[in-house]
Amino acid sequence: MEEPIIPPKVATADEALGFWGRHRFSLLLIITVSIALVLTVISMAIYNSSGAAQLDLSRPGYRSVSDQVDSGTTIDGFSATGPVNVDTIKEFMKLYDEQANKAKAVDAFSGDPLNPAVLEFGNQGTKE
Amino acid sequence: MRQTIRRFSIAAVAVLATGGVLMLGSSLVGAQSYAVLTEDQKQHIVENCVSIKSSLNQLHATDALLRVNRGQMYESLSSKLMDRFNDRLGSNNLDNKAMLTVTSNYRQQLNEFRSHYISYEQKVSAALNVDCTKKPIEFHALLQEARTLRNTVHTDVIKLHQIIDDYRSSVGTFLLNYERLSQ
Repeated sequence: MEEPIIPPKVATADEALGFWGRHRFSLLLIITVSIALVLTVISMAIYNSSGAAQLDLSRPGYRSVSDQVDSGTTIDGFSATGPVNVDTIKEFMKLYDEQANKAKAVDAFSGDPLNPAVLEFGNQGTKE
Repeated sequence: MRQTIRRFSIAAVAVLATGGVLMLGSSLVGAQSYAVLTEDQKQHIVENCVSIKSSLNQLHATDALLRVNRGQMYESLSSKLMDRFNDRLGSNNLDNKAMLTVTSNYRQQLNEFRSHYISYEQKVSAALNVDCTKKPIEFHALLQEARTLRNTVHTDVIKLHQIIDDYRSSVGTFLLNYERLSQ
């Protein structure tokens, strides 16, 4: 009795590719989303740690003051080239004095608005 | 092999125990620093949480504006005046060492101002994210830390103003020497 001849199994194109080959579109999506997430996390970390977040007045909490940024305080720069004589030094000193007075005009971050006696307890006083 | 596993287990237990002790210690220290509020004060924070946060939000925004405006001014002073004058003296082979030193101090102080402000702002943001109706002690502690950091930022501002004056004095001295040598 002759054994039946089994024809050799021919792999289809899909089978020949393997698991990841068959799911390459899904793989592409996973890799793309993962890279995007990693880059977003890195950029947010840099944004927060570099001080950019503190200067970004377009954030929701700062909208009330974002239009009050002083854009008119442009300093007239002093030329870095040219001769030096008494007149140029005096000219620089005049320019410097003007800007220095503007810079020192505001005693920024003075006062004690975070004093618990004022902020939290309305002058009740604390144990500290 | 068994010995290796045993050693590894002992090391792991030791690490965990040390970590536990450190965490317990830090939580006790934290609890101590928190334990400055009376029941009345805690109650006051809980009851006035909304108005306190509103004031804090306002301060947060005005301080940010102040930081942007002042920072811009301080930055321009060094980049548009100090650096350029130093370069001009240097390109004319004049002695600008005193001014360079003061400019370097100024830049260093400006960096401190920036980094202290970042710490301060992060602390205020952290306090704003705490629910003071549920965690009044934590909220109070964060505000205290923010208060200290705000004072540090103010100290930085005072130092910057001092250095601005120092630079002016250096230029004045330079002018006197220059006039003396020119005669």
